[in-house]
Amino acid sequence: MSSSSVEDIPEQIKDLFTQDGVLLKACLGRPVTDLNAIGMLCIVQNTDGTKCIEWRPNDLITIDSDTQDHEWAVVNTIGRRQRTLSGNLTADYATAKARIIKIPLEDLKTFRVTRNNQQMQFSTKPGVWQTTFYFQHGNAEIFVAYLKNHVKSAKTRHDRNTYMVVEPNIESQVLNKSFAELDIFTENTTDVVWNLVSNFKQRPYETTLEAFSKLTDIVYYGNEATNGKRDVSEEVAELLTKSMSAMDEATTVTRNDEYEVISVKPTLPPRPCIPRGTPLSTEKWDALKDTQGRITEVDGVKQLIFRGGVAHSIRQSVWKYLLDYHPWTMTHAEIRAHQKRKTEEYFSMKLQWRSMTDGQESRFSEYRDRKSLVEKDVNRTDRTHPFFAGDNNPNLVVLQDILMTYVMYNFDLGYVQGMSDILAPILLLLNNEVDSFWCFVGFMDKIVSNFDMDQAGMKNQLLQLQQLLTFASPDLAQHLAQKDSGNMYFCFRWLLVWYKREFSHRDIFRLLQVRFLLSALQSNLLGKQLGFKDNTAEGIYHQIVSAPHLNDQIRVILGHQPLNISTSTQSDDDPVEPSTSQVNGEKSILGQDVDEVMYTRVCRKVTPNILT
Amino acid sequence: MSSRKKVLLKVIILGDSGVGKTSLMNQFVNKKFSNQYKATIGADFLTKEVIVDDRIVTMQIWDTAGQERFQSLGVAFYRGADCCVLVFDVTAPNTFKSLESWRDEFLIQASPRDPDNFPFVILGNKVDLDNRAVSAKRAQQWCQSKNDIPYFETSAKEAVNVELAFQTIARNALAQETEAELYNEFPDQIKLNANDNSRNRDGDNCAC
Repeated sequence: MSSSSVEDIPEQIKDLFTQDGVLLKACLGRPVTDLNAIGMLCIVQNTDGTKCIEWRPNDLITIDSDTQDHEWAVVNTIGRRQRTLSGNLTADYATAKARIIKIPLEDLKTFRVTRNNQQMQFSTKPGVWQTTFYFQHGNAEIFVAYLKNHVKSAKTRHDRNTYMVVEPNIESQVLNKSFAELDIFTENTTDVVWNLVSNFKQRPYETTLEAFSKLTDIVYYGNEATNGKRDVSEEVAELLTKSMSAMDEATTVTRNDEYEVISVKPTLPPRPCIPRGTPLSTEKWDALKDTQGRITEVDGVKQLIFRGGVAHSIRQSVWKYLLDYHPWTMTHAEIRAHQKRKTEEYFSMKLQWRSMTDGQESRFSEYRDRKSLVEKDVNRTDRTHPFFAGDNNPNLVVLQDILMTYVMYNFDLGYVQGMSDILAPILLLLNNEVDSFWCFVGFMDKIVSNFDMDQAGMKNQLLQLQQLLTFASPDLAQHLAQKDSGNMYFCFRWLLVWYKREFSHRDIFRLLQVRFLLSALQSNLLGKQLGFKDNTAEGIYHQIVSAPHLNDQIRVILGHQPLNISTSTQSDDDPVEPSTSQVNGEKSILGQDVDEVMYTRVCRKVTPNILT
Repeated sequence: MSSRKKVLLKVIILGDSGVGKTSLMNQFVNKKFSNQYKATIGADFLTKEVIVDDRIVTMQIWDTAGQERFQSLGVAFYRGADCCVLVFDVTAPNTFKSLESWRDEFLIQASPRDPDNFPFVILGNKVDLDNRAVSAKRAQQWCQSKNDIPYFETSAKEAVNVELAFQTIARNALAQETEAELYNEFPDQIKLNANDNSRNRDGDNCAC
């Protein structure tokens, strides 16, 4: 692949222009570990006079400047934003140079700038955007301006942001002429940008900052200036609608003489309507078991439940399976024996703390701390719900006993605030101490990373949420970042206790049930769910998964395997790897009466004659 | 006085779980007390406008989770704080002993410019209860040893001293704010480089 061949780097190359703060977002054929690294995007001249666009990871640059390699002259003219680097590269690179990306200008066919000058993509082959860069400072236009000194390009008719390379420019010093040809700027009508380019040579740092802030002003305050002050919520709502509904912008393929120019708007495809199935009834649930009580079609049953939920009358029973208390493949008799063992195990652990004397306790501070936290929180958990209301409520004692026994079950984790919130609906539903304990254990196993000592699990989830949002709704993500909320900490409670505090108990039953069925990674999607009841969240999931610009980062967040390529081609019918998870991959039956079709399918596998 | 523009004060409430942080905030902002608060998860905030020395000041009060485990998120919440309120429960000596580490943790994570003079206020809460275990004298001594931190004995339940405490919090935060501004302006005034001066918002204004 021409964009990534690095073995033949000449020993002596000259930097013609460099720009730092450029993140490698995607590159065909590169391992995912190479992606998302910050580096420097350059235009370089090889000894033979040919030119390349070259990207170097920052760690590589740092190593070289740190060691004061004398063949490097690092001229830091403009602080952190821009750095001009001149001099000759040496062979010291050997080990790290494999990560350098080179795009020979002779091979460059098209490039385009998207997302408010934040993103730039290059292609040397019609039909594929092989390399995608993200400009941290949103100043891709500067790179474009310099690139145009070295290649002759024209905008495509159908997409103002896409440029077709007509021929590489032979002369290297056509600076003034090139600036005059910068149609990108005249079309943007902003003198700001024009001045930016002409001032850039004299005062690069100030110019960049100044122009950037002006551009930001236009982007963020443009509306306000013309319409006057608007309600913030209205603004957000509009951003949301805008980014979520801009789906009809179809992908266009334009034939222009010999080149095929492809423009793919980085928007999501239309949201599929995911009909909600009917809840699993008692009869159907019983029919899913064989005569001994075993459930063999586990994945199918899980899908049925995920699609349509369950009738409240069987929820108690179903949760024991979903929370890994009752193994699916056990017979009725085996479950009875299993339950007996688990009951004994529970009470022996309960006895461990119940039999602790005051003296022991006084010398066991770690236990005492946990106990005191449990006591404090039990007394303030769902006290407005009739089940836990009033003084001397026996259910509070059960709540406390289960949490204390959990402390003995997993002393290292102990009690973390939020656990009482998670246990409360389980106890409310099952109304049985032992069952509730083991179901609580099962749920904790699924979300244990929420309670990491260093909060790593929560931080990671918030980061993934931010990345998903940036992908699905860049405008909203940008708005949040502008309001100092890019860290998504306002979602902390939602994620920690799974919306337990935000919904009524009835809704929580349904929401948690869906959560039980999601793998940890997929949970984030529902984390930003916008209308759980009608499966909007799942619709959004499908939108993201089938988006043409889906990249490995997002793929991984959604629980898919990375593909190691990041831009999918147009011709792919299904650019997404088949899902390995249990809750999706049912595309073929979407739009039909989902639950009936699935139920039939599941039942056929269980007992072929059940429906006839 | 040059500090008329800044009227938002960010106040952080810290302290062990169950000492009454949420209750104090709600008593001050909403004049209400409830037995049914839930454990705070993450952080919450409420705002209230108060008048301090004829100035209208908006207090943005951040209520945080008490469990130590959640402290690693603190840095995001603590940043830009103008005052830190440390709360303990006068019936629970452990919560009093924790004050020191809450204070240190705050200073590390928020890293205020002038840590020695950063305004803290200590509240000994739940004085309405009978089983008091930390005496006022002991608390006061500790506060004196820490650069004379103001100390109030409060009851969020019975609204004892809550208003007074928050008035002091606002006043001290404001004083800090004013000092900070003087601090900031100073270097600009003595700049000798004419080129730099042209970029000052205030132009060539004299310091006096």
